[in-house]
Amino acid sequence: MLFFRSEELVKEWCRERGLPQRPLVTLDQLWQLARAWYKDRLTPEARRPMGNEMREIFTRIGLEGPFWDPGTRAG
Amino acid sequence: MDIDTDARMMVSRWIVETTRAPGIAQVAARTGHGADGVRESYRRLQDKRLLVVESDGETIRMAPPFSAVPTQHRVHVGPREYFANCAWDALGIPAALGRKATVHSRCEQSFAPLTIEVDESGPASVPCVIHFAVPAAQWWEDIVFT
Repeated sequence: MLFFRSEELVKEWCRERGLPQRPLVTLDQLWQLARAWYKDRLTPEARRPMGNEMREIFTRIGLEGPFWDPGTRAG
Repeated sequence: MDIDTDARMMVSRWIVETTRAPGIAQVAARTGHGADGVRESYRRLQDKRLLVVESDGETIRMAPPFSAVPTQHRVHVGPREYFANCAWDALGIPAALGRKATVHSRCEQSFAPLTIEVDESGPASVPCVIHFAVPAAQWWEDIVFT
């Protein structure tokens, strides 16, 4: 997951590497992901979200579609 | 606490305090578990995706959101500078610590520097986007690339 100044620069980066352009995430969405994954990470009870929890988090912040499906192995 | 929680908490505290990952001897000494026990614990923590170790089974590469190796994502919290594994983890460090931070990273295409101030309410507005090159179901197939 990398930062870019603009979508045009993402397109250039993907083109130069022969990679498909994937969905873009905003800084606000990234913060929601960071909070969901890490706000309790330094506690004894920490764990990663399970697959169904991941789906709920992605949907809640507007990240939808097959790209965001974590599959059967919890993320 | 069980050995896995002991090891994980010890590693986390060490990184928070020193900004660097501890060696396995330090984890074994601090937790009172032997090095072999810590190695087994690392394997279980990696399976839970809470830790990433190198192929030697004992050198920590990632204790997400922290990176044990230098990266382009530097996160300043007070006097300390941490390395993050990716853009997500760069915001994950202030989220985990519950503290204000300044993220210093870059645009991966233009290499223009990117500075993001983060406080308890989130990051200040900065013109940028984040590209996820790998679908969610494949993130851990090659977590270093992801």
